Amino acid sequence: MLSQSFLPFFEWCGKTWLGTAVRDNVLAFPVIETFHLLALAVLLGSVLIVNLRVFGLGAGRMSLSDDLEPWMRISLAVLIVSGIPMAMSEPMKCYESYSFPIKMILLVVAVLWHFAVRRRWSGSKLAATVSILLWAGIGIAGKGIPYV
Amino acid sequence: MTILDACQWLQSLPWASGIKESSWQFPVIESTHSLAISVMLWPAAILDLRLLGLIMRRRSVSSVAAQFLPWVWVGFIVMVLSGATLFAAEAVKCYRSPFFRVKLVLIAFAGLNALIFHKTVFHGSTSWDQQPNLPWRARLTGGCSLAAWIGVVAMGRALAYA
Repeated sequence: MLSQSFLPFFEWCGKTWLGTAVRDNVLAFPVIETFHLLALAVLLGSVLIVNLRVFGLGAGRMSLSDDLEPWMRISLAVLIVSGIPMAMSEPMKCYESYSFPIKMILLVVAVLWHFAVRRRWSGSKLAATVSILLWAGIGIAGKGIPYV
Repeated sequence: MTILDACQWLQSLPWASGIKESSWQFPVIESTHSLAISVMLWPAAILDLRLLGLIMRRRSVSSVAAQFLPWVWVGFIVMVLSGATLFAAEAVKCYRSPFFRVKLVLIAFAGLNALIFHKTVFHGSTSWDQQPNLPWRARLTGGCSLAAWIGVVAMGRALAYA
């Protein structure tokens, strides 16, 4: 769980215009979460398609990284832009959960991995496994926020 | 026995009520259901986007279909199994929810749309397989499929919060 020094920041998030607006509109959260989930499907699906090829699974001979890279970047942007209002609408749930800080750490590592490390190692089974585990872990940790 | 009675019976089965009572079973099955979207819906959407001429324009429609339809089938099986388990745990809530009914209608529509595509629009070899821009019937099928699956995800979220 997060250290208490973060508490004022999370309390402030809940009082912002954005946090209150999402909380006050019944439709806002499910609508934003729909976009968040669709973007996750694009990003995680692309990560699986690109990386499972290394294991000879489900991709044939085509290299698809170039086709999918722009879609991965757009979906990452949509995930971040849709994730912020959801977190700000229920900051105390995030502050009290173990899943939220784990998800944020994994997200930073995954973004650095994607843009800085991965390319130099492309084609290796270890690099492919790390990519899949990072993004799947982010999805699972996200689902876990309301529970643990 | 009405459908509501059947839902009440299903939900009261020991394994079904156990899912709701357990602290971890429901979230684990729900996570599986949500993450399987990436295995099923994105590969399906890639084919739809190819029909619309928005992705992989230099690849033939048949090669994109051959590459991604196996993913869609694997993902679909996981979706149906995990979805049916979640339904059993909350059968009465689902039965009463208008969002769940719309979701079922949209899934049926997406299935019918795919069936029509494979039986008529894309039956055997076509003259436009290699072309980047496709005839209107192919674009219409891709657009309908994409819209239906986005609707399915939206109805699933609405069902969870209603």
